[in-house]
Amino acid sequence: MARLPLEGIRIADFTWVWAGPFCTLQLAHLGAEVIRIETATRPCITRLLPPWPDSKPGVNRSGYFNQYNQGKRSLTLNLKQPEALTIAKQLVAKSDIVTENFAGGVMDRLGLGYETLKQLRSDIIMISLSGYGVTGPEKEYISYGPAQVPMSGMSSLTGYKGWRPMHVGISYGDPNGGLHGAFAVLCALMYRARTGKGQYIDLSQWETSTAMVAEGLLDHGMNGTQPERDGNRDAHMAPHGVFRCAGHDQWVSLAARNDDEWQQLCVLIGRPELAIDPRFATLVARKQNEDELEAILSAWTSTRSPQAVTEQLQAARIPAAPSMSNKDLATDPHLNSRSIFVHHEHPEVGVKQHVGIPWQMSKTSLAVRHPAPTLGQDTDYVLHEILGYSATDISALRERQVLS
Amino acid sequence: MAERALEGIRIVECGHLVSAAYAAKLMADMGAEVIKIEEPAGGDQARRRGPYPGHVPHPEKSGLFLYLNTNKYGVTLDLRQAAGQSLFHRLIKDADVLIHNYHPTEMAGLGLDYTTLEKINSRLVMTSIAPFGLSGPHKDYQATDLTLWNAGGVAYLNGGGPGTDDMPPLKTFGQQAGYQAGINAGIATLGALFARLASNEGQHVEISAQECLLSILELTFEFFPYMGLTTSRLGQKPIQPLDFLECRDGWIFLCCVEEHQWRNFVELMGSPEWAGEEIFADRLNRGANWDALQPLLQDWIKDQSVDDLYHKAQSRRVPIAPVSTMGDLFNNAHLKARGFFATIDHPATGPLQYPGALYKFSESPWDLRRPAPLLGQHNEEIYGGRLGISPSALAELQASQAI
Repeated sequence: MARLPLEGIRIADFTWVWAGPFCTLQLAHLGAEVIRIETATRPCITRLLPPWPDSKPGVNRSGYFNQYNQGKRSLTLNLKQPEALTIAKQLVAKSDIVTENFAGGVMDRLGLGYETLKQLRSDIIMISLSGYGVTGPEKEYISYGPAQVPMSGMSSLTGYKGWRPMHVGISYGDPNGGLHGAFAVLCALMYRARTGKGQYIDLSQWETSTAMVAEGLLDHGMNGTQPERDGNRDAHMAPHGVFRCAGHDQWVSLAARNDDEWQQLCVLIGRPELAIDPRFATLVARKQNEDELEAILSAWTSTRSPQAVTEQLQAARIPAAPSMSNKDLATDPHLNSRSIFVHHEHPEVGVKQHVGIPWQMSKTSLAVRHPAPTLGQDTDYVLHEILGYSATDISALRERQVLS
Repeated sequence: MAERALEGIRIVECGHLVSAAYAAKLMADMGAEVIKIEEPAGGDQARRRGPYPGHVPHPEKSGLFLYLNTNKYGVTLDLRQAAGQSLFHRLIKDADVLIHNYHPTEMAGLGLDYTTLEKINSRLVMTSIAPFGLSGPHKDYQATDLTLWNAGGVAYLNGGGPGTDDMPPLKTFGQQAGYQAGINAGIATLGALFARLASNEGQHVEISAQECLLSILELTFEFFPYMGLTTSRLGQKPIQPLDFLECRDGWIFLCCVEEHQWRNFVELMGSPEWAGEEIFADRLNRGANWDALQPLLQDWIKDQSVDDLYHKAQSRRVPIAPVSTMGDLFNNAHLKARGFFATIDHPATGPLQYPGALYKFSESPWDLRRPAPLLGQHNEEIYGGRLGISPSALAELQASQAI
């Protein structure tokens, strides 16, 4: 059985909420041992958010936490206690990577800043994910995940034609920041493999989010203006949009990438004459008459299901896809034929369908190895197996509230 | 001069638009050598999307292409010709990575076949980015960024809302499905290179763009497995304020998810009486009664200036953000102090500002080595200089449009 890419790599994971844990999730997917440092006195907010089975909350019952912390371990430490800090430092000394996404200055104040940790292990790789980065005039400002989309310029560019700025539907800055963080850590590991040196990485989610609107920035740089919000339309393709289908809140997305696909679409919808209609014959004409064009398509899709429209268009090799809900995705035959869904048995919620790894390798068998940890599940393992504490010591620490 | 993190890694990239180009760019920016292969007739489709200076299309001046392909060498090559395949194999022989996003139905015709390439270079990591993966009933489905954003479940969560439930699920600006598939491909490719450290073998890495999006649905996906519930963009948000509000000179996004944040904001507004109403007493009440609260907040905020309100609220520890325009971003003091934007000179456009380093490394930072290539710019340097092809042979290849 081929060795996992990051087998033998250990991560002391101080991250919480979404961005940081999503970063370390990628590293867990690649086989690293990710040890979350948590505390029962202030559980990670995602442990407190829904969904919960039977609508019953519980720190080990959250689908949100359980999704983004699959394959990781949980150590509880009360970092307000000096002994807990000592343990944290001992763990860092035996780790390759330290990850954190606290507000600026928190790790330093805890005595866990990079310069200190470097003394414990000279080749340590540390990454800080934060909203604003660790330098700059606004570094003390508070950044919440949902705010990154508007801050990054994405909202000013996203919205229905003639309407106000809109959001993205998820706290996009978080997973995007987390993924770029994972990539950065892998780069640092490559550098260390060649040179033996560790380093510190400062990642600002504002910056990783802003990079996602590069085309808008370039437009402004070239022309002093930015693209207007235009809903689901595209400057280079028409038709291009999301159309209502039969049933409650059912929609299908489609795009004709060129005149050929437009002509085929006309035949498909039983309107072959539209292919030579001067209102729609060229892209320029279709853009000029786009409202009419969309009304015609809407009339056709409105009596059909998204799946039927998709199948018909795809048979003609025209891009189309239903606007998938979470339920559609969970039950989708294509996705269920692949290895993306994971069904581990979790000690408190039982077997639940989770999203696994979106990459496959032909010789390395990647898989989520176990469900998300319950709070403090691996405290004894970490203290005993990794740090060499005896069972008696561990009991004593527990009694002194160091391990809560 | 600091060493580069991915120094010594040689990458060959081909395809169109965003995902493969972005994955390769991420690696080029950290020091890998990337040779980007483009089709001789017209090159990467990104050259035809713009934006363009003066809004005049020009294949060497497309902002999307220029951003995605900075730090790369560029050659032309027709993979459908035997002569092209032969050159391709010579490039692959010396490469560590091949990354592409050609459609699964096109791969065979382009010689993008791992079994063949593995025989030429057993250490090659080949990364294929496909809309729906390389297996399964939908593997041959055609896609654009819009249809992927919908197929991946992100679009269904956005748009609409009170008063606009009849409007469709809303796409996000740009090519986000492409960027997400690209960053995932970068991670997986580096993962395969790590696996190679132990095995001394390459392998085929497969990325499904749809699955990449499925993995970023926040807490929404799990509502179905855990509670049998469908999540969508319709209906009220449970907690407020967490929304856009209009100032006199732009928009802000106000997040008061904790009680103390709301109290601080109320104080900033001069503690208006209506803020003390029972129906606004806590964040869940404020969510339930947002249609009453929103106009009251909006009425005060409409007279404020974005910049002023942003700094004042942040100084009271309220998580508020400006709804930045492109101009705001370029002029922002914080981003400037961090040197986020890099000025890159390019032979066709002259100097322009681009997003620069996405992360600051203390030992092996991002750096800029060359602007995006003109079409076929490095043919002579790579084919002639590196592969030793004579000028006359090169001329022949050009005449037959193999390059």
